[in-house]
Amino acid sequence: MAKVLDVRGLRVDFRIDERYYPAVHDIHFHIDEGETLGLVGESGCGKSVTSLAIMRLLGPGTKVSGEVRYGGKNLLAIPDAEMRRIRGNDISMIFQEPMTSLNPVQRIGTQIGESLFLHRGLTGRAAREQAIQLLQEVGIPRAEEVVDDYPHQLSGGMRQRVMIAIAMACNPKLLIADEPTTALDVTIQAQILDLMRRLSRDHGTSILLITHDLGVVAEMCQRVAVMYAGQIVEQGPVREIFKHPQHPYTIGLLNSIPRMDGPRTRLTPIEGNVPSLRNMPRGCRFAPRCPHAMDVCRAQDPEPVMVEPGHDVRCWLHAPVKEAR
Amino acid sequence: MAEPLLRVKDLKKYFPIRRGVLQRTVGYVRAVDGVSFEVERGETLGVVGESGCGKSTMARSILRLIEPTAGEVWFEGENLLRLSGSSLRHMRRQMQIVFQDPYASLNPRYSIGYTLEEPMIVHRLHTPAERKRRVRWLLERVGLDPDYAKRYPHEFSGGQRQRIGIARALVLQPKLILLDEPVAALDVSVQSQVLNLLEDLQDEFDLTYIFVAHDLSVVRHISDRILVLYLGRMAELADAEVLFVDPLHPYTRALLSAVPVPDPDAKRERIILRGDVPSPANPPHGCPFHTRCPVAMDVCRSEVPAWREVKPRHYVACHLY
Repeated sequence: MAKVLDVRGLRVDFRIDERYYPAVHDIHFHIDEGETLGLVGESGCGKSVTSLAIMRLLGPGTKVSGEVRYGGKNLLAIPDAEMRRIRGNDISMIFQEPMTSLNPVQRIGTQIGESLFLHRGLTGRAAREQAIQLLQEVGIPRAEEVVDDYPHQLSGGMRQRVMIAIAMACNPKLLIADEPTTALDVTIQAQILDLMRRLSRDHGTSILLITHDLGVVAEMCQRVAVMYAGQIVEQGPVREIFKHPQHPYTIGLLNSIPRMDGPRTRLTPIEGNVPSLRNMPRGCRFAPRCPHAMDVCRAQDPEPVMVEPGHDVRCWLHAPVKEAR
Repeated sequence: MAEPLLRVKDLKKYFPIRRGVLQRTVGYVRAVDGVSFEVERGETLGVVGESGCGKSTMARSILRLIEPTAGEVWFEGENLLRLSGSSLRHMRRQMQIVFQDPYASLNPRYSIGYTLEEPMIVHRLHTPAERKRRVRWLLERVGLDPDYAKRYPHEFSGGQRQRIGIARALVLQPKLILLDEPVAALDVSVQSQVLNLLEDLQDEFDLTYIFVAHDLSVVRHISDRILVLYLGRMAELADAEVLFVDPLHPYTRALLSAVPVPDPDAKRERIILRGDVPSPANPPHGCPFHTRCPVAMDVCRSEVPAWREVKPRHYVACHLY
């Protein structure tokens, strides 16, 4: 299947007190056409930074290297003007808190119209009609009235629908959704996830879904990449990762969540805390919390290895005996 | 049966809506609208519901951190809402609360040791040396280094701060602890550490918990019984195991079906509710849930359903039963 996006060796460094520290380190993944890829991890693991780096939305004080291949080009190397044409048109993005992404003093119709004008040259009546149609498509009742509303007049779920309408305005190939339902109640989350699934199916849009919720991943994604401390520690098909997790962090994560199904047993937490950027452990970044840590783990960072076709793990337990280089 | 530790009867909290230059009261937000339940000694009662269902207001009204509009709260044979001054203060020693965001509830200028010592000073308990000893002992109980007493809140991670919040609630040796979204701000790997700690402390100190949360899997894990709230009213109350296997209220059913399960093979019938929760300033007539209920009947639009025990220990407010 054709790859929509191919990320190779992505690295992002943040400057803290005149020194650079890698917040995202040696990330490789791709997204196929029409596929939903989940990027999961806990706060500070670098999943949002990864998505912002892809969109080139990181501010000064950061260094981005590696390759982000889209449509035969490296997005990290093209001129700003070309990147602006891609954002919102080919790749668009929605965020956790729709209220901070929407302009509070502009009507909903105007905000959808902006994208329609910039990328498709629609103005006036044509833009308005298209905006109403988009609002209807994302399931907003009374779309003809809502188009003239301001964001504060809508509920959280409705605002997120508006964000999705703006993101889908130019029929993008890839939608990056950064914790799109985290701020919403569970019954509203179910509505939004349902909407995203339907749009992806009807338009063939690929989705990069960033979340901390393993339930959302199991429900939405075909493949998943698990991040820890700035690295992808494991990636593969969702079923494979949930049924046969290989990395001790993935296993720990799955064991530490309370379940809705099955017997209620004592939880098995991952001991310790996530390391901070300035105090990254030497070797494998998970080693200080890992129940299986060996000497090699504390000395050397493991490379990703394939355990099954399409299933990679970054762990010394699975590394083949080291060959001489 | 033994007398329950806490009995809440017809608790109400209405917030006035004021408008205009004269700030006249033009209506009320019915945040909590007639909630009654009992909590047995040593049990954990989970309280769930979506934002705006009144679960936090209810918890705070029980402690009178927010003054309730009406109702009774019986604790150890006394109606808390009738107490004042020193007798209320004395009662509060028995009931403590842990908040969602421990950073906002810890004074950034107080060392952890002073934060933990202060309640004992207020209540004139122990000698200074004993108080210090007790602080170190408590820190150890909640899984922290006793030397942390000298440090300040900003030096701790979210999980550690929540441990401090729990230690602060334990200082006065309460019988009841209200936990208001205690793990909502924590990452999953840390969340499980705190949940295990709460279970251990409950066994060690014979604590009774009211656990308020929006995360249904967390509530199922920790609770003996679960109360489901919707728009300030009780929808359903049952044993935790029963509620998840045999939910009766259509709202509970929809709520449970909406939770994403971390199992790609799980086959579930999802009930997707239409629309949003109505505003508690202008709740619907009849059953508060009828505007979103997939099985609403005519009677639901006109009459408020009664709260009934339809099976042993299983209560529901719905015209279907």
